[in-house]
Amino acid sequence: MKFYFTVVLFALFSSGLVVAQSSNLKIDPASIELKGQGEQIQIRVLNSKGEDVTSDCQFKSLNIQTVKVSSRGQVISGFAGQTQIEVSQGKLFELVPVKIIQADLGFSPSFEKDIQPILTRYSCNSGSCHGKQRGQNGFQLSLLGFDNDFDFYSLTSESRGRRIFPASPENSLLLKKASGQVPHGGGKKLPQDGNAYAQILSWLKSGQLRTQSSEPKVESIEIFPSEVRLTPSSKLQIKVVARLSNGISQDVTHLAAFQSSESVLASVDADGLVVAGPLPGEVAVMARFMEKFSVLMVTMPLPEINSEIVKSNLPRRIDSQHFIDQLISDKLEKLGLSPSKPALDHTYLRRVYLDLIGRLPTLEESRSWLADTASDKKEKLVLKLLERPDYSEFWANKWADLLRPNPYHVGMKAVFMLHTWLRDSFRKNLPYDQFARQIISAEGSTFRDGATVVVRDKRQPDELTTVISRLFLGIRLECAKCHHHPFEVYGQDDFYSFAAFFGRIGKKGNGISAPISGGEEMFFLAKKGDVKHLRTGEVMKPAPLKGKVMEFSESEDPRKALAAWITSDENPMFAKAAVNRIWADLMGRGLVDPVDDLRATNPSSNQALLDALADDFRKHHYDIKHLLYTITTSKAYGLSSVPNERNKGDTRNYSRHYRNRPRAEVLLDMVCDVTGVAENFPAMPAGSRAMEMWTFRSASEFLDSFGRPDPNQDPPCERSSDSTVVQALHLMNAKSIQAKILSEEGIAFKLAASPIAMELAIEQLYLSCYCRFPAKEERDSVLNIVKTKSQPRKQALEDLLWALINSPEFVLVD
Amino acid sequence: MKNPISKYLPSRRDSLILGLGGLLGGGFTSSLQAKSLATNKAQAKSVILIWLDGGPTHYETFDPKPNAPVEIRGSFTPISTKVPGVQFSQHLPQLASIADKFAVIRSVQHDQGNHGAGNHYMMTGAPPRIPVGCGAFVSFHPSMGSVVSSELGAPPGLPPYFSMPSMTRSGGPNFLGAKHSPFVVDGSPNSSSFRVRDVTLPSNLDGSRKVNRDEMRQAVDKFVRFADKQVGDPATAMDEHYRQGLDLMRSPEAQAAFDIQRESDAVRETYGRNDLGQRALLARRLVEAGVPFIVLNEGGWDHHTKIFPTLEKRLPTLDATIATLIKDLDQRGMLDTTMVLVLGEFGRTPQINKDGGRDHWSNAMSIMMAGGGTPGGLVVGATDKRGYAASERVLTPENFSSTIYYKLGIDPAKILYAPNGRPSHIVSISEPIKELMG
Repeated sequence: MKFYFTVVLFALFSSGLVVAQSSNLKIDPASIELKGQGEQIQIRVLNSKGEDVTSDCQFKSLNIQTVKVSSRGQVISGFAGQTQIEVSQGKLFELVPVKIIQADLGFSPSFEKDIQPILTRYSCNSGSCHGKQRGQNGFQLSLLGFDNDFDFYSLTSESRGRRIFPASPENSLLLKKASGQVPHGGGKKLPQDGNAYAQILSWLKSGQLRTQSSEPKVESIEIFPSEVRLTPSSKLQIKVVARLSNGISQDVTHLAAFQSSESVLASVDADGLVVAGPLPGEVAVMARFMEKFSVLMVTMPLPEINSEIVKSNLPRRIDSQHFIDQLISDKLEKLGLSPSKPALDHTYLRRVYLDLIGRLPTLEESRSWLADTASDKKEKLVLKLLERPDYSEFWANKWADLLRPNPYHVGMKAVFMLHTWLRDSFRKNLPYDQFARQIISAEGSTFRDGATVVVRDKRQPDELTTVISRLFLGIRLECAKCHHHPFEVYGQDDFYSFAAFFGRIGKKGNGISAPISGGEEMFFLAKKGDVKHLRTGEVMKPAPLKGKVMEFSESEDPRKALAAWITSDENPMFAKAAVNRIWADLMGRGLVDPVDDLRATNPSSNQALLDALADDFRKHHYDIKHLLYTITTSKAYGLSSVPNERNKGDTRNYSRHYRNRPRAEVLLDMVCDVTGVAENFPAMPAGSRAMEMWTFRSASEFLDSFGRPDPNQDPPCERSSDSTVVQALHLMNAKSIQAKILSEEGIAFKLAASPIAMELAIEQLYLSCYCRFPAKEERDSVLNIVKTKSQPRKQALEDLLWALINSPEFVLVD
Repeated sequence: MKNPISKYLPSRRDSLILGLGGLLGGGFTSSLQAKSLATNKAQAKSVILIWLDGGPTHYETFDPKPNAPVEIRGSFTPISTKVPGVQFSQHLPQLASIADKFAVIRSVQHDQGNHGAGNHYMMTGAPPRIPVGCGAFVSFHPSMGSVVSSELGAPPGLPPYFSMPSMTRSGGPNFLGAKHSPFVVDGSPNSSSFRVRDVTLPSNLDGSRKVNRDEMRQAVDKFVRFADKQVGDPATAMDEHYRQGLDLMRSPEAQAAFDIQRESDAVRETYGRNDLGQRALLARRLVEAGVPFIVLNEGGWDHHTKIFPTLEKRLPTLDATIATLIKDLDQRGMLDTTMVLVLGEFGRTPQINKDGGRDHWSNAMSIMMAGGGTPGGLVVGATDKRGYAASERVLTPENFSSTIYYKLGIDPAKILYAPNGRPSHIVSISEPIKELMG
């Protein structure tokens, strides 16, 4: 591909659309001029409504010596001359003038700009072919072409240069294999009459040149269109244009690689044809070319239905001025979805208690709040909950999942100190930027300064890079440790420049020595310490991601500079990653999902909302309680989980509340609370709640059944939120739960012994388990069972309590 | 959607409207399969998959490299096996003595170098769709156990898919739904007080109380369920699990299979009085009761440090247990219909590292396969002379999982449909390893 000799005179893009006179078809570009043979561009055709009809059109060149055109509108230049391409759709047709000019003599393709893109486009260097570690059948390329030197050597010199045959380039193994003339495991990739084959042949003939560093580079690529609405099963041809550093633009559609974020919703083929599926939703289609990428957002609204009854009965927006509700409503309108109704009071009550402090309200709390008629009772409740000590236990427990090291690795006391630090941070409502800074630049003793335990656990600069970038920037840099992430802007240089901030961590005291490393360790600023690039071995200087290299004197701590950069208001990722994580906790799914994978090619389901939440968080000085308040007092948070006809398929746009199961610790505390009998944990003070546990080493069958993570599993595993038969059986039959239900300390026993009427006893159990009063029928049917079985009062209440716990209304947050 | 035939069918949407979704999808794919299945008679009925979590070394197990330099071959010496010309590593003498009873695959390789991804690839036959972390518990595709559960179903009163003592990272059902997740039996079957917990009523409760409770639960449970699968209501999964739990409690077959105490001391002794040994014995009892898929999830095979002293202790137990299991199945006439598989995420690095360990290495690994018509004494493929990479008969995890499915009479090319209508092949490239088909 001859970037620098090609001039496409008329603008290639939508701005250059010209309305044809003979028909209503709009052709992009309206006329074509190419320089030299073998140049390729993509034609797009729009109808009078602006819809893409490229895949419906027929294309015909009036002189195939001068220009060829494929059935999909791909134009390839031939010999110099002028002609026309006829574009027709049914009865409509349009002529596109084409001019091919002679290429300058002396041009030859070179490796980086002409050959690498072909190897990438045809997946030669993909992870499943020659790009994998150790290559394929002895021939290895760098994954997706991130290492030009390696690949050039691999093609031209390795294996004694057997892959190319300069004396007779057509007989080079490279071409013979790729074109399937000799058996090739990957099949016939580059047909002999194709453009890519011709390019490589030309490169071989002209002496396998490298691209000079002074030559223009690809600065960015752009995808056309960048945003589109499609109806179910419709098609769209996309076009990709590269912008070069010398100001020239080049159509690279034929060399770009494409991928859809959700191919069920809309798929994309190797030539850039997008096909919408039958379901409503949004999809990001990515195009990649030479380490650059660009994204097309495809929206497929739910088709309108003609039933006026359905339309008039379903709201289009959430009725509220809260910015969260406004932004969610905007999105629902765009997709044609309707929000569910507001949840009932008791549902909100139970939800907000479990979501904010991880426990159920007491009987008294439920009674008084449900009876309260004040219009601001939700706001008042949230403020009160955020001041409870349970708040800090609960959020420390969540963060512990992200940080908690294995006590067999770092020692028991260290784990305890980290947990104490986490709990204190939430108790003090430490602003989140300070929280992050204390971890990133942790100093001092593992026996005194809990945050240092993170550094004790993740001892190497590369481990810290991975964990810090993931936690505080929502970026998975670990891929960049070994290769350039195919859909991410970061490469190895970025990874090791980031890791270099952790090069000068001084350590003193008791390091890690398996199996037990219980001692104290100190962390401080060392005078020196290098981090080397994995591939080049070069000593790296610290640089923030995509930022300038920083220099430090002996007394300046690079980690403090990194912490300042990460948490600065100018770094958009920091607040976004934080609000997204908390949003996912409260709303059941992250705006970006998974929560720690923020990148242009994994876009948020509601970008405006993510931005607004992040802005609000910054403006309020990273106050976590304020963020929690903002979300839990929105109407969106308070929607019912009951779907309607126009949102049941929605799992990403918050048109209804998504049910979830509370974490193991919360659920165990709930069981203890409603039975009135506390659990006894090994090595914890009597009366401790599961939420206060700080290590998996306190044994608990309940917690393990419900997915508590075990950092000592080798290799360690994350928390699981799946529901299982084991959980169902445990709730039904576990000895420990049975003992609580039957206990003489327990609620069933006490109620049975008290003089209150059976109706009231039933009501009390309902209220404690479900935060609501039983409906009359519910109460009557329970009473009826008791009467017909003539059960003793105590047994009846025990069985009722068992039944309440064993229903999904107890186990789920609705 | 890429399915080329889909355009000749009513769209998924039409099917939903017509209420024909399941019928149509099922009917169509089964007619496609009829042909291939006719030539694919099930050889095996059950699988016991011993998962060595962390990635077992190929050098110190089934693929020793005595001629490699010492920093690669390590400190163990190879031993001869019952099969002339085939050598195993030093600490597998019992398996060596019955090497004619099973096959070893030395040439599966893939490109997923961390635990989360490696587990996913080997357990589901599909690579993870996006990069995943090392500690990850991810699921993009149903695990083999879940597919077997959905395709072969369960024996009376028992779940079809067991995992002991925990689920493997990617051992879940994905879109097949909660009823195909594994039944996890935790605890140590080696302990004298072992019972599969929670599958019987608490001891101080009689049967009539149970009836009362169930009635009470019916009266109490008024929670709204959303049956439409698009909604993804977790309450429907809980219902499924509750029902399965009741089935188990009521099943005499299940209770009998779980009761490992019924085995003689002598048998328990030969399996090894340790967790793995007794789990293998319990697995054999489950196979006898008709359970088609059992995973033993053995942790602690991630030997980044001190690999040789660790394996000196670890391998003899593994050796004894697996050899006993194979011999026992053989003597009971069950080996013909029961597959025993031993594998992990990947192999381990050729160069012994500075901590005396080996790191993750997916370019080479060894898999052991016995039973279900697998030719005994066979070695499939080879790595290069230093064990760096599979070099002869290079195979993929897809080939491996296709082989398992074929042997169980399941067509790996069958198309499954997710609730949202997305089609996906059980295995994307469904070519079994023909040498192993017997």
